Amino acid sequence: MADRERMFQKAMENKFTKEFGTNQMDGGEITDMTGKYLRLGIEQSPRKIEMKKAGQDLAKKRGLVGYNPDMHCAGIPLGQRALTPYTLSGTDMLVEADDLHYVNNAAMQQMWDDIRRTVVVGLDLAHETLEKRLGMEVTPETINHYFEVMNHALPGGAVVQEHMVETHPGLVDDCYVKMFTGDDELADEIDDQFLIDINKQFPAEQAAQLKAAVGKTSWQSAHIPTIVSRTTDGAQTSRWMAMQVGMSFIAAYRMCAGEAAVADLSYAAKHAGVISMGEMLPARRARGPNEPGGVSFGHMADIIQTSRTVPEDPAKVSLEVLGAGAVLYDQIWLGSYMSGGVGFTQYSTAVYTNNILDDNIYYDLDYINDKYNGAANVGTDNKVKATIEVVKDITTESTIYGLENYEKYPTTLEDHFGGSQRAGVVAAASGVSTAIATGNGNAGLSAWYLSMYLHKESHGRLGFFGYDLQDQCGATNVFSYQSDEGLPVELRGPNYPNYAMNVGHQGEYAGIASAAHGTRGDAYTVNPLIKVGFADDLLPFDFTKPRVEFGRGALREFVPAGERSLIIPAK
Amino acid sequence: MTYKPQYYPGATSVAVNRRKHMSGDIEKLREISDEDLTAVLGHRSPGSDYPSTHPPLAEMGEPECSMRELVEPISGAKAGDRVRYVQFVDSMYNAPATPYFRTYNAAINHRGVDPGTLSGRQVTECRERNMEEVAKAQMETEMSCPALTSLRGATVHGHSLRLQEDGVMFDMLDRSRLENGVIIMNKDQVAIPIDRKVNLGKPMSSEEAAKRTTIFRVDNVAFKDDPEVIEWVHRVWELRTRYGYQPK
Repeated sequence: MADRERMFQKAMENKFTKEFGTNQMDGGEITDMTGKYLRLGIEQSPRKIEMKKAGQDLAKKRGLVGYNPDMHCAGIPLGQRALTPYTLSGTDMLVEADDLHYVNNAAMQQMWDDIRRTVVVGLDLAHETLEKRLGMEVTPETINHYFEVMNHALPGGAVVQEHMVETHPGLVDDCYVKMFTGDDELADEIDDQFLIDINKQFPAEQAAQLKAAVGKTSWQSAHIPTIVSRTTDGAQTSRWMAMQVGMSFIAAYRMCAGEAAVADLSYAAKHAGVISMGEMLPARRARGPNEPGGVSFGHMADIIQTSRTVPEDPAKVSLEVLGAGAVLYDQIWLGSYMSGGVGFTQYSTAVYTNNILDDNIYYDLDYINDKYNGAANVGTDNKVKATIEVVKDITTESTIYGLENYEKYPTTLEDHFGGSQRAGVVAAASGVSTAIATGNGNAGLSAWYLSMYLHKESHGRLGFFGYDLQDQCGATNVFSYQSDEGLPVELRGPNYPNYAMNVGHQGEYAGIASAAHGTRGDAYTVNPLIKVGFADDLLPFDFTKPRVEFGRGALREFVPAGERSLIIPAK
Repeated sequence: MTYKPQYYPGATSVAVNRRKHMSGDIEKLREISDEDLTAVLGHRSPGSDYPSTHPPLAEMGEPECSMRELVEPISGAKAGDRVRYVQFVDSMYNAPATPYFRTYNAAINHRGVDPGTLSGRQVTECRERNMEEVAKAQMETEMSCPALTSLRGATVHGHSLRLQEDGVMFDMLDRSRLENGVIIMNKDQVAIPIDRKVNLGKPMSSEEAAKRTTIFRVDNVAFKDDPEVIEWVHRVWELRTRYGYQPK
């Protein structure tokens, strides 16, 4: 099995044996242990040349210097090695590294925008208030009317007062609200334009699970305008939504704007019936709801929608969750909210480019299926019991395979030139694969920690100071009963003790959480409402295939929302 | 019975070398003069006095303190030296040392050191004269190969890059290179040019590096070929995992 064709082969050949730009990297083998170092500087990269010119133009225009690639190391000229392209894993998209920084990638920005500007809000409390307190009738017709009003109001249209100040629809065209329910009869009565149809969006088995979980309740998935969310913050989402929900109920049901029942509707929308994507963070991190640090790994796994398009392939599902998680948690949360600079991007690309992690996981699945009678196939009665011995076995096999790839294919070692990158990739493979074999997320988490130990002893190195920190103490909290130490991985998040400031972990944990459920054929990881709320093709970012979207962003093909060109002078 | 430290498990040459690094029982292979060492470290001019940050401890009139009586200060602390660093980069292509084993060597065999361990580099901070002792000991012995080991204060990714065609670890800042069969260094740790070419000695042959290395590699000594090390790792992980499981 060890001689199988490696999934990263083509990506490595594109990167190290073919010219890209003018880097002169033609020839050689991806197994070569020596390389040509032509020290060609930045001029070898088309994107760097473009950036250099932009920096020069900027300096001329504003009379103040800006980007200047000769500023490295206090002006020491760099003997820059070859600048090489990256393949988005699972695709044929070849992109420049710079274009995977979220600042340079509109798709990455939009993914986070779409998460941050979303809340799922219950309708039942409001309907009960209308029916039981005010004696009004709520019917499919009134619900349809409410959604017509709401899709006018949520973007910033006036509904109760006269037409005074409103937002321009051309600026908030990404804002809307849709409804979903587990009640097929009610769903049949809802206008198609307003409905997230569980039966259409999910495979039959998943739809049945989701409808059973949602039951007769009904919900609305609301997305406030990107432009609003960017100007304010994630905590604004529920507030903006709740105000417009209240106004829409008043208008749709001809309520008195000042009657006390309105307060109940507001309370339901703001507090009692609202599901945020992220929890509020404690004062030391000082972020409101719907900011990345509060998005649990389980929520992230449910936001990503690959599970409904390739349910037979839980590895791919996990890889998509993991890639999206790396962008959100590493590049945006840790890389910007919590830190700064540009280094986090380089770390996190390791798990979603060049198919190295993919190769490790699919190798593991073959091993698991051979040794444990198809335990990696989707199902519930084929899983291997999560024991210490099983974790040891799968993790040791997976870790040694991953490390030996770096030894046999020096180009992969060069691609993942930081130990933290390698550690994240190799441990993620162990974690995801063990979770797939056992259907147990914490068994996957346990595998993660064992992989870290094995890696450190094999190579005599692991990550950087802070990287290793949590990996050397984490094994003790995998099965701890103390609530601040031992949560199921699905409920852990970026603010979990010891996880708070550490690139190269959190996206991977989301992938592990996803793996434990994808392998069982579960329709969702932790929250069916979030899974359904994002099962919506109208969102600008396609959550069924994040890695393709990141590639489109890098290739400048992705069209984001929230643009301001309508209200600024044309260039 | 006198306790004899075991240091590290395993029966392979890599495990044996790891025990040697940890024990400090390492073979001296080359000579680097004090002046050359000072030059490449780059903290002060060769031959100059050690700058100090405080007067000698003996002149400071320290308060009565049982800890001060118990712990003998190291020489640099006594003299009031600055805290300075030496940072090594070890190639993953069979460099003799690896970051963790450099750290263990420093922490076990030297007092007053503050080693930091990363994937590409290993830094030891200490009072300046004592740091120089650590640096000298590690550079002159089998813990280092001049071609596969380098002093680098910044830009350390060469550790995992393919070797140059002449077998030397890539350095973006070109601090050292192969000249006439020996490795010379004409910049300091942070790549500021120095006024000399310091001869760091002959590179190890690939066979010698493979024999002396502390990294497991599938093309030399594979990790899976040392089951005792793997068993020990399993044991550490299992005990920590079970310890955390306390439903009470």
